[in-house]
Amino acid sequence: MSTQDTKSLWADAFSRLIRDRWALISLVIVIVYAGIAVLATIGWGLPDWKTSQASEYLPPSAQFWLGTDLFGRDVFAKVIHGTKIAMSVGLVTSLIAIPIGVFIGAIAGYFGGWIDDIISWFITTFSSIPNIMLLISITLIMGKGLVSVYLALGITGWVGLARLIRGEVMKHKEREYVHAASAIGGGHFRKLFIHILPNVTHLVIINTSLQFQTAIKSEVILSYLGLGVQGEPSWGTMIDDARQELARGVWWQLAGATFAMFLVVLAFNLLGDALRDSLDPKLKGK
Amino acid sequence: MTTYIIRRLLYMIPVIFGVSFIIFVLFNVVAGDPAPLLLGKHATAQQIHDLREQLGLNKPLFAQYMDVVKSAFTFDFGRSWATRQDIIEMIRQGAWPSLTLTIPAFMISTVLSILLSLVVAFYRGKGIDLTIRFLCIAGQSISSVAYILFFQYFFAYKLGWFEISGYEPEFPMFLSYVALPGIIWIVLSLGPDVRFFRTVILDEIYQDYVRTARAKGLGEITVLLKHVLRNAMIPIITYVVIQIPFLILGALLLESFFSIPGLGGITLNALNSSDFPVIKAMAVLSSIAYILFSLLTDVLYTLADPRVKLK
Amino acid sequence: MDRPLLSIKNLTVDFITPDASMRAVDNMSFDVPAGKTVGIVGESGSGKSVTSLAIMRLLPQPPAHISGQILFDGTDLLTLPDDQMRKIRGDKIAMIFQEPMTSLNPVFKTGAQVAETLMLHRGMDKKTAWEKTIDLFNEVGIPNPSQKVHAYPHEMSGGQKQRVMIAMAIACDPKLLICDEPTTALDVTIQKQVLELLKGLQEKHKMSMLFITHDLGVIADVADDVVVMYRSKMVEKDKTRAIFESSKHPYTKGLIACRPDMGANPKRLLTVSDFMDEAGNGLKVTRDRVQVFEKDYEAKNGNDILLEVKDIHTHFPIKGGLFGRKVGEVKAVDGVSFQLKRGKTLGLVGESGCGKTTLGRTILRLVEPTSGSIIYDGKDVTKMGQEEMRLLRRKMQIIFQDPYSSLNPRMTVGEILTEPLVVHGLGGGKKERLDAAKALMEKVGMKANQLNRYPHEFSGGQRQRICIARALMLRPEFVICDESVSALDVSIQAQVLNLLLDLQQEFKLTYIFISHDLGVVNFISDEVGVMNKGVLVEMDRADRIYKNPREEYTKQLLGAIPKGLPKNIEAFIS
Repeated sequence: MSTQDTKSLWADAFSRLIRDRWALISLVIVIVYAGIAVLATIGWGLPDWKTSQASEYLPPSAQFWLGTDLFGRDVFAKVIHGTKIAMSVGLVTSLIAIPIGVFIGAIAGYFGGWIDDIISWFITTFSSIPNIMLLISITLIMGKGLVSVYLALGITGWVGLARLIRGEVMKHKEREYVHAASAIGGGHFRKLFIHILPNVTHLVIINTSLQFQTAIKSEVILSYLGLGVQGEPSWGTMIDDARQELARGVWWQLAGATFAMFLVVLAFNLLGDALRDSLDPKLKGK
Repeated sequence: MTTYIIRRLLYMIPVIFGVSFIIFVLFNVVAGDPAPLLLGKHATAQQIHDLREQLGLNKPLFAQYMDVVKSAFTFDFGRSWATRQDIIEMIRQGAWPSLTLTIPAFMISTVLSILLSLVVAFYRGKGIDLTIRFLCIAGQSISSVAYILFFQYFFAYKLGWFEISGYEPEFPMFLSYVALPGIIWIVLSLGPDVRFFRTVILDEIYQDYVRTARAKGLGEITVLLKHVLRNAMIPIITYVVIQIPFLILGALLLESFFSIPGLGGITLNALNSSDFPVIKAMAVLSSIAYILFSLLTDVLYTLADPRVKLK
Repeated sequence: MDRPLLSIKNLTVDFITPDASMRAVDNMSFDVPAGKTVGIVGESGSGKSVTSLAIMRLLPQPPAHISGQILFDGTDLLTLPDDQMRKIRGDKIAMIFQEPMTSLNPVFKTGAQVAETLMLHRGMDKKTAWEKTIDLFNEVGIPNPSQKVHAYPHEMSGGQKQRVMIAMAIACDPKLLICDEPTTALDVTIQKQVLELLKGLQEKHKMSMLFITHDLGVIADVADDVVVMYRSKMVEKDKTRAIFESSKHPYTKGLIACRPDMGANPKRLLTVSDFMDEAGNGLKVTRDRVQVFEKDYEAKNGNDILLEVKDIHTHFPIKGGLFGRKVGEVKAVDGVSFQLKRGKTLGLVGESGCGKTTLGRTILRLVEPTSGSIIYDGKDVTKMGQEEMRLLRRKMQIIFQDPYSSLNPRMTVGEILTEPLVVHGLGGGKKERLDAAKALMEKVGMKANQLNRYPHEFSGGQRQRICIARALMLRPEFVICDESVSALDVSIQAQVLNLLLDLQQEFKLTYIFISHDLGVVNFISDEVGVMNKGVLVEMDRADRIYKNPREEYTKQLLGAIPKGLPKNIEAFIS
């Protein structure tokens, strides 16, 4: 056997992932959306959405692919720019929720005892308040706007991950490779961070794709409740606008935003499933 | 068994204290002073002071916290700032419309999902399985708000099959109002439910005891309906029961869209008028419902699974 | 001669998936005569279980593709429609599986699961079926049958569950009973009872049996004919006695020879590779390789005591009650004392749950003892502080049972082997550490250029060698081997045992060797301790324990081991 064809579990999982056609397509879609979001953030190369270019509610045409809105703005451009809010909500809430979830879950699962008792109480308490009530309360109190949406979704997102990581760390703690690390004199830090955590990281990756979907979908609901983003196009506010528009036969805002969102959430969904299949060592070969 | 239930009941107390604490921090510490908001810009300092006194906001923070805790046990949430009504009375009135919408929809969607997931599990890996799975994932990828808008516009407004909005509390009348939101609820639930049940059933299908059942000469359908389903029911019961508290909370979006005067509608009105006590009450009540039903889940778990002996 | 009950002709099973295809059974042909027992013996992955599942038509198709003929009473089972096959399954042909723990449905009463078969094939009503079930429970030796039929699987021991499986299998008086490793998951004393039960039932019901196992001792006890499988092919079939006394195939010879005996053994165990090269050609075995070796019980490296365990107790609390108070305790280790001399090997044997693993982990303080003292090289380990304990870990190491879970799957072999040096700040820089790892890889019979590979790229035996190398990286003087060869196939086991002996000599190691397998312990140990229920029942020199056991429990344990047939050493020398 040569030494070149060696493969870590990660490399192995990745090669299995890209062999799955649907997963590959999903990955490409996610990357394209992320690219658009970056372009929208630096304000470069995308169509203009701010200025009124025509009269109100023009139906889709060759010039305006998705028609115009109440102020004569290009709906297609708005959909494109909405990507920025959607992806940033996913990213920021993941950045908040995942470190909290991993840290709290890992500490509770690894140390057990009274530390686990306290953290479990905290997790139970937090998950007892229905998410939607927490979301509403936080955004109501923090005031409308993007920051509230980030915070609310970030603070509600960690609970499930913490519970998952806790359970998984508990299982791994009793595996023989961790006992072996104790036997060579490894301390808590080494056992938790060098041995156990890399073995539960796949859950974090799977959870991130879930967190993105949830965040993108929740942004729409919060916007509908009037708690969402102000002064910038987002799919949520566009769908919310459609409430008044549908009765007048104006369907293009709803359709554009819904489809843009559908595509990326579907991609995250399929990617999440494919990641689960390729990363979960338990399912290997099934 | 009794010891276990008593222990779980006792454990509710620290959890209720914790929930109250989170709600207290959000509304009494982070939220800032609601008095100027309620009285408008031209209020005098004396007016603000009086109102704060009346709302109990001049008390020390710990006493304010204890007020929240007390309300969780007495269900006395005071009066709404917006309507001056007794909040628990408002909730009592809102419960009926909410439940007429959510309970039938919930029951239908659960039964339908289990049936579908059995079909899908039977044909696992075949075309029908792949199709239903893809439809579930695709269905889940559309915003719930978009579903509501489209269904209301198309089936009620365009085709006129259903009432566009409104509610009547008497028996057969309410059916015509809750039918469309109920259908939307079912459509929204099918995706996640079928996917979860399918996973649970397939987890069981690869177990050793299933091979034993086949080795006995049982047919595939008996194996699935008797041996597999009985085991899969354990996680399914947990999943289903824990959703019940959210039925009580009502279908927030659906109720507001279809103007059903249920708990979801009350919550949203309170949200729009910054009616803190009502939101607080709903948060406390829904949390308590959640805690009670998670206890019920654990108890049912022991009944469904002979292996679990709670001590 | 009559037509055999089961006749397998040119059976071939392939597993074909989009990614790969694999031949699991390659052109097998053999017969099972009426009323006789045929054993299939082979190592893991040899295709023996696939063969049995193919007969029952329990392999999912696809991915399995089956060709050939399986003639049962003259009918080819492979061409039978599904509903006809279902009528045969559980009625004419029944099967018992390896894992009694998971093979019964956990949510149904055991009686109901047996009665189900009767109602299905015999058309009995519920009442009659339950009455018959009680009779069956009685017949398979389950005490209090009329109560036990109402018990759920988790309320029974492993042996009882397997008896329920047997009751289910014989419920409809099958003509053929397929037993797939029926006693592998059971303790040796329970194994003996189950084997006796099966033999008795076979005679009484005049069944044929197809008995699949990896254990040659078991096969010699039960089978009339033996089929030997190796890498999905049948390499030999013959009368059982003939297989043991004059086997023709080098693989069979190797398989028989590599099993450590309860009596005399050579200095190093023979392995399959002594008899056969990779291509399958037979090799010559010289007389000196089979010479009986007398252990030197007295002097190895002087007689100083390295480890002394004094009245050690390790108890685990059982929590319960209203506030999770301690309501009782499991006395996993309950007062064990012994001494171990430097350079010697102490074997600890006992059945599952006897406390031998906990004892080993307690000595290394991977589990804290409840009371007692552990004197290592003059110092009490139980009183050491964290830093002192960390330093001591350089001298005491452990090799675990499961080669799959004892290596971190996300680390390369190089990282795994150098980690002990990193933890203790030893071995110089990265390059020096890797050099040390390479040297040790070669010592354990692996290649030095495999350091950048990951554990999942190795076989079980290779992984166990990596575990051994990891344990030796710190140059310890004392190593605990906790069931370190139990998960390995018998031919791999022999290689690893030989390796452990070589390393002991080279590095002057002292071993505690924990195992449930008395043959293995006899081969490797100078002294043997028998454990039962947390207590050391008897401890003595290995030869004395095996020849003159004093305690009743030791006698019982030794009596339960399948004796097999004596090896005909002369037949191995070519």
